[in-house]
Order: sequence, then structure tokens, then C-alpha cells
Amino acid sequence: MDLSLSNRPEGDKTVVEVGGEIDVYTAPRLREQLVDLVADGKYHLVVDMERVDFLDSTGLGVLVGGLKRVRAHDGSLRLVCTQERILKIFRITGLTKVFPIHDSVEDALAATD
Amino acid sequence: MDQALVAPGLPGVGVVRVLLVEDDEGDAFLVSELLSEDAAPVLIDVVTSVAAARQRLQQPGAVSYDCVLLDLGLPDAEGLDALHSVLEVADGAAVLCLTGLDDEHRGVAAAAAGAQDYLVKGQVDGQLLRRSIRYAIERKRADEQLRALYASELRAAENARLERGLLPHPEVADPSIGVTTRYRPGRDAVLGGDFYDVVETEDGTLFLLIGDVAGHGPDEAALGVSLRIAWRTLVLAGLERERLLPVLEDVLVRERRSEEVFATLCMVVVAPDRRSARVFLAGHPAPLLLGDAPEQLPDELVGPALGVLPGVVWGSRIVELEPGWRLMLFTDGIVEGHVGEGSERLGVPGLLGLAMQSPGYPDSGALVDDLIAKARELHGGDLSDDVAVVVVGHDAAVPQRTPAVPSTSGWT
Repeated sequence: MDLSLSNRPEGDKTVVEVGGEIDVYTAPRLREQLVDLVADGKYHLVVDMERVDFLDSTGLGVLVGGLKRVRAHDGSLRLVCTQERILKIFRITGLTKVFPIHDSVEDALAATD
Repeated sequence: MDQALVAPGLPGVGVVRVLLVEDDEGDAFLVSELLSEDAAPVLIDVVTSVAAARQRLQQPGAVSYDCVLLDLGLPDAEGLDALHSVLEVADGAAVLCLTGLDDEHRGVAAAAAGAQDYLVKGQVDGQLLRRSIRYAIERKRADEQLRALYASELRAAENARLERGLLPHPEVADPSIGVTTRYRPGRDAVLGGDFYDVVETEDGTLFLLIGDVAGHGPDEAALGVSLRIAWRTLVLAGLERERLLPVLEDVLVRERRSEEVFATLCMVVVAPDRRSARVFLAGHPAPLLLGDAPEQLPDELVGPALGVLPGVVWGSRIVELEPGWRLMLFTDGIVEGHVGEGSERLGVPGLLGLAMQSPGYPDSGALVDDLIAKARELHGGDLSDDVAVVVVGHDAAVPQRTPAVPSTSGWT
């Protein structure tokens, strides 16, 4: 199992599609992608996690780091996730209070709060 | 160390690459001639200054030299300065110094300063030169192996030190309380940031802690040690339990090296009468209650992991405990292992299932060993993350020691 990553602009936001496993071995690639996007001036990110099979604490750390980076530029980082087992990880770690989590990319793109 | 045992003949079977750093054309010619008599092929590149030698040695994709023959009387750097400049970039190459008849003392100093050996020009024949090169190369290899061994020993000692800091001896005076702890580093013996502690305070309150600094490696482990010691200090200093996690979060925020770093924690505070406990969860899985059948304590009152939302206040929930209770605290390493080929993981339900089936269930040590072994087996090898498990059990048959001071923590 590995990590797949791609991104595309959608209006003023950037959708990052993540698939596979985000763990201690693959998380650095996700970090790099988020850092690159922010360095590139992309401060409104939607991370689509619908095809993520596994997420560990290192991966969570990378997402938290990404959030802090975009917030430093008044940006936003929204997650798209409907998979119960991934949502549970966000709930257990209390991160549902930190990340806006949406049911679909469309929903996340439409959100403005 | 097998290479050090290679029999005579120039090592590395085949060509020996020598970089000769010599500004005197006559001397350079002489050295080449002496080496050309050798049966084993020697390839010599000649440069005339230290600067040129450094360039050769550092060139990306350059030949890797087995030996550098360095004249200590070069125009651009003399003596030990020349040696230091070359050693800096010589990497795996042995360095053999050449001195004149009247400055042999320089050769002695050079050997002391890191050169493998020295030779006095004019006193060298082909055989001595070849033997010296061979010897210098072998000695360099032996040095490198020693150094690698030393580095790995240092790393192991550092790991052991961190591990001691992360995983202390429980401080419990009450004979009715039994504590079982286990820790396994993750894949490739990488130390993670898992830590635990168990402390009984003077009034008989029992404090249990397990935590996990996100990420793996010595930085995370060192932060885990800081957090554990800070927690123990705060508990022993009598800080009220509701303030422990906020203060600990403050410590984490000040000590972490990047904003990405956070830690999950589970803290359980058992009342002096051992009949109830308060469970605090900061982004951490809730403990298991090992009754007739194992079950996970409710985790709906969970707060965020430490360092994620600084300033948050954690709630807690009271759990009633039956005499003879056992609580199992764990880090997610044990539930994150694969189950079979797909992306399925063990998870807490899987862990409960393993505990239920374990023949060692009544014995905490046997149970935990069995759980870790089964989780590894299902994963098909070492678990990726480190695993920490603490089981604290109450023995109803053993009378409780009377606390040194009456409880002040207000359990009613």
C-alpha cells in the first residue's frame, strides 16, 4: 500500500486528492505537497480524503501542520471525508473541533465560513 | 569485520586507485615508476596542489580513490594544514603522507593527526611503497569499521537512555495494586514517543498516565521524556488533577520543535478507596476495563490531543470500579497493525477479541505478552509503530495500606 497525491485548482481553492495510507513512511510526501502549495500562494486547501485507507498520528500531525501554515496566511484547510473509520480518528484525537469536515468536495468548495 | 581479514595482495581485488598530490615532477615520476612494478594494477592520478586534490576528491560522480599520497611540502598548503584540508574531503580514502629527509618530524605529526602513515622520500623503494599503501588502505578500513561500530553503540546507548526516561518504574506503595508494563519499539527498533507512568501520591490517590508524541525518532522520544517527567513532577507537587493536562500542554507547546508536533494522552486518577476513577482523554483511545469480559470505557468525553488547540480545558468522566478491577491503558501502536493482506487494521474491536480469546487473560503479564505477540503475528512481522501497554490491577484479597495523609482531592 502506498500514498497517492494529486492536486487541481478549483476557483480560488485547491483540491488535494489523497489516497492510500498516510503513515510515518508516507506522511513526509503529504507534508511536502502542502508546504509547496502554501509556498506557491495557495492558501485555501480542500483535502479530499475519501480514498484514504489509513491515517496514523504522524499523518494527523502533517494535516495539523498544514492547517497552521494556511492559517498564517488567513487561509483555510477543509477536509472531505465520509469514511467512518477515518472520521473516528479525527473524533478520538479531538481534531473534529479543529478541521471543518465535509461530505463532498462540492460542499467544501461552497463553504465560506 | 570480515574485510579486515582479507589475505595479502592489494585489497579490493583488482585496480587500486591512488591520487598523488605532488608538485615536484621528478618525485611524481619516481612514485609512478615504483608503483608500476607491482603485479596488481595501480592507477595513479597526479595533481600538483591541495586545492586540485580537494576538487578531485569532491567531484560529484568522481572516481573513488583507495589512497591519497600527499606531499607535505606543497606550494598552496604546508604540513598539517595540507593534511587537514585533504582529510576533510578524503571520505573513505586512506591518506599516506610523504616528507623530505629533513622534515621527518612532520610525518610523525601527520600520522598523529589522522593520516594512516608517512613515508620519507628517498628512503622508499617499490616494495615498501606498495606495502605501505596496502597497509594504509587496510588500516583505514579497520578505522572506519571501528567508527561505525562506535556510532551504533552510541545510538544504542542513547536509545537505552531515552527508553529509561520514557518508561520508568511505577511508584506505588499500595500492596493491593499491581502494575504490569510492556514496551516494544517499532519497526527497525525505532524508538517512538510512547511513554507511561504510574504514581501514587501521599493521600493514596493513584495516577496513571500513557501518552504518545506524534511521530517517531529521538526528538519525539526526548519530548516524551520531558512530558512524562513534567507530569510526574506536577502530580507529586500536588497540582489539582483538572490542571494537569493544561499545564502539560503548556510544557509541550514550549518544548516542541515544530508546530506540527502534538501528543495524545490518557490519564486515569483512581480514588484512594480504589472504588472509582476519573478518566481524562486528550485525543487518546480510552482504556480497556478487563472484567469478566473485556470492554472499552466510553470515549465520548474526549478532548483534543495536547498541542492541537492550546488553551482548551479537558473534561473527565467518573468510572465506578468493582473490587478486583483491572484497567489496561495502551498506545495506538498495538491497534494499528494490519490484519491480513488488505488495508484492514486490528482496531480496538480486534484487540478486545484477542483479549477475550487469550488463555492468559486472568494474568496481566501473560495477557499483554499474548496480545502483543498476536498483533505482531496478524501484522506479519514487527509492528510499524511502537507499542506501550500498562495494566493496573486491584487485588481485593490484599488489604490496602493506609495512606500517609487523608485524601484532600474530594472524591464525593
